[in-house]
Parts: sequence; structure tokens; C-alpha cells
Amino acid sequence: MGEDMPRWPAVVGTVASVLGLGIAGYLTFEHFTSSSSLACADNGVVNCLKVTTSSYSAVAGVPVALLGLVYFAVMLVLQLPPMWRRPEPAVRYGRLAWAVVGVCTIVYLLYAELFAIDALCLWCTGVHVLTFVVFCTTVYATLTYPPPQEALP
Amino acid sequence: MPNSSTRSGSQPKKSGGSSAAKAAAKNPPTKNPPKGGTRTGPGKKTAANTRFAERQARKHEEARRARQDRNKRYAFVAIGLVIALVAVLVIVKVAGGGGGSTSGADQPSPPGGTPIPAATLTHLSSVPISTLNSAPTDGIITTPQTVSGKALTADGKPDMLFIGAEYCPHCAAERWPLYVALTKFGTFEPQPGKIHSATQDGNVPTLTFYGTKYSSPYFTFTPVEVYKNYLNAAGTNYETLQLPTQSQLQLWQNANGGSFPFIDFAGKAILQSAQYSYAPLQGLPFGAVAAQVGNNSTTIGANINASASQLIKTICSTMTHDQPAAVCSP
Repeated sequence: MGEDMPRWPAVVGTVASVLGLGIAGYLTFEHFTSSSSLACADNGVVNCLKVTTSSYSAVAGVPVALLGLVYFAVMLVLQLPPMWRRPEPAVRYGRLAWAVVGVCTIVYLLYAELFAIDALCLWCTGVHVLTFVVFCTTVYATLTYPPPQEALP
Repeated sequence: MPNSSTRSGSQPKKSGGSSAAKAAAKNPPTKNPPKGGTRTGPGKKTAANTRFAERQARKHEEARRARQDRNKRYAFVAIGLVIALVAVLVIVKVAGGGGGSTSGADQPSPPGGTPIPAATLTHLSSVPISTLNSAPTDGIITTPQTVSGKALTADGKPDMLFIGAEYCPHCAAERWPLYVALTKFGTFEPQPGKIHSATQDGNVPTLTFYGTKYSSPYFTFTPVEVYKNYLNAAGTNYETLQLPTQSQLQLWQNANGGSFPFIDFAGKAILQSAQYSYAPLQGLPFGAVAAQVGNNSTTIGANINASASQLIKTICSTMTHDQPAAVCSP
């Protein structure tokens, strides 16, 4: 029989979005103050300063960190439990599309870190992992569970 | 009537039984149910309809489950694709296929570059203003933006700050029009040498401002080349060449988040990234690019000329009070 939407996607998505918002906020703050104070190891492979000061750290002059902040702010709203209970396709598929945008972006940024900048930023990696978690949750829950009104008796 | 569907078979769950109930409701067994549950006449019809409704409900439920299973597979495929993509990137990197950490693939040039023939430098510095101003601007991605920041000065003159890195391909592209523009207002002594961006970062031929000195009656020029174009001994990072001062760093961070290249025109305008794409320059010999400067009929030439024209206009309006007239008001 049809399954109701469980609570876990909303819980996981909200927690991951809050964490992502926090890290992106920190990176944005460091961008607009002085990223030389970024709390990050510099052991060669890991070099946050090199990543956050590279040409890939901004898109058309807009810091990627700021884009991440906006991404997680929007995603947090979409991941809140009341939003998961909403049946409108615009919300369901909008959230799915936003998650896909996020995961495509992190794949590109990972490529840039590995092959263009040649350094990894741990904070950025944290954001990437959280984006991936949100993507997995959103894709699985959206495709597996029917919209709320379908699940109602 | 509503209870007729529960006579046989299992009792549907509260939430999951909706399909059976709906199907039964859609196909009412009979208008007049038999008294005492007699299975003759209309009673047979009722039982048959009930079984039909249940079969329909089961079919509905099976279809729903099949759809759900199929969607679940799609979800796993989507997630798996992302994991596979990331795994491929990491494997290629670790295997050394993407360059980067393999210092052996890097061919360094000296930080100050190698000397550029005087004839080439003369060619670069003598492109007519009219040629620059008439260059097609199709390839221009970004232009200097006016800002109202704190005035940037040095030696009592407006100061133009350039922050780049020798490994950076965007910076490599930007230095061409920058050199063309700067030589309209002053001279370099010593002159820039030629370098290329890192081999694994576009391998774009360019000049370097590291170790140069620029003199102009109108303004000063402060270049900061933060990194060299080759990796350190461990093959993990580009070697640091020049560190910006704290105030330069702050200015740079506030303006474009600290990305390369960055130009500040005395605090009155900024350029946040390269004006045109470096892609067509990748792997070309220095002379092949230099030869196209001043030629508006090639993509590379037009992009460099149009970019230089914009830089000159910005310099005129922000730092030289439109002087000299031959450059600023031709």
C-alpha cells in the first residue's frame, strides 16, 4: 500500500542545511574580512587560503562562499518539515531541482580544486559533503514517496 | 453496502486500504443487497463485483508498488552517478592524469620571465589608439567597475594595484591588454619578461610584472604576483612569489573575494576578473599571441585590443584627468 512521507528526510535535510548555512556563512565572513585568518591547516594538499583566493573562488565577481550561503538559505526553507508536507509539485520538484543544482556545482568545484587549484579546502569539503547529503535525501524521498495528498486515505 | 468489500480477503490497512475502498466505492456491487446474505441471484453478482473490486485494488496496489520501486531505482542511480563521478575525479587525480600534483609535468619559467625581444615590446606598446578603440567587443566578458572606495595613492600619485599570480591563466590573459594600456602612459624599466601560466593551468603565454618598475608622470603602478607558475618540491602547491600587504589583501578580499586577477584604479574603479577568455591563448607560443596584438581581425587580437581600450579609458577617467590628450581624447 502507499507509504506516507516519513519524517526523516525533513529532519536530515534541515540539519544538513543548517550546518551548511553555518559553514557557508563562516566562509563568506572570512571572504569579506580577511581569509588569511581562515582556520584551516596548510599541509600542502589541504590549503584553504589557496582555494579561497583562487580565480575559482568567485563567479562574475560574486564569491562562491556567498553563493553557497544563498544556496543553503533557500535549501533550509525547502527542507523544513512543513515544506515536506506540502503537496505542490512546484515545491517538490523545485526542491529536487535546487538539490541537483547544488550537487552539479560541488562536482565542478571539486574538479577545480583537484585539477586547477591543486589544493583542497576542508571547509569547502564540509560544504560539499552536506550538499551531497541533502541531494541524496531529497532525490530519494522525492522519487520514492508520493506527494502528501496521495498518501492520505 | 460499504462493508460488502470486507467480506472476504484480508482487511485493508487504515491508510493503505484506500485503493480497495475507492475501487469498491466506484463499483457498487448492487443497488439492493440480498437479505440474509443469500448467494443466489443478485447475491452472486455482489460477490463477483466484490472480487472484481478487490482484484482491481490489488492491481492498483501492485502498479503503485512497481512505480515506487522504479522511482527508488532512479533515485539510487542518480546518487550512484554522482558518487561515480566523484570517484572518477579522485582516481584520475591520484593516478596523476590531471596534472596538478605531478611537478614533473610542470615546466617553470623564471619568476621574472625570459627577455622579450625589443621589437616585440615596441610592437606591443605602439598599437594606435584608434585601432584599440575600434576593436570588436564581442569577446569582452567583464569591464572595470567604478567604485567609491578609499583613494589609493603612492608617492603622492594615484596608484594602480594589480594582484595576479604567474600560474593563473586569467591573469596571463589580462596582462596583455594591461601592458598595452600602461605603455600609453609611461614606461617599464626593466621591462617585463615572458612567462606562461602553469602548464597544468592553461599554459597561457604572457608577460610578468614581477621585478619590473613602471614610471609615469600620472600615476604609479604596483604589481603583486602572489604565486609562481610552478609547484613546490613536494608538488602540492604553487610557490609563493610575493605576498600582498595587509591593506592590499583587505582591499582585494573586499573587492572580489580575493580571486585573481584584480586591478584597483586608485580606489575609483576595480576590475574583478580577466576581461576576456584565456581559452584561445592556451598553449600558443608567446610570439604567436604578440603578433596578433593590434590586429582586430583575429579573435585574440580583437579581445586584447578591446580590453586595452577599456583599461585606457578607465585609467584616463580615474587617474590622469584625461591626460595625455592624445591617448584619452584622440
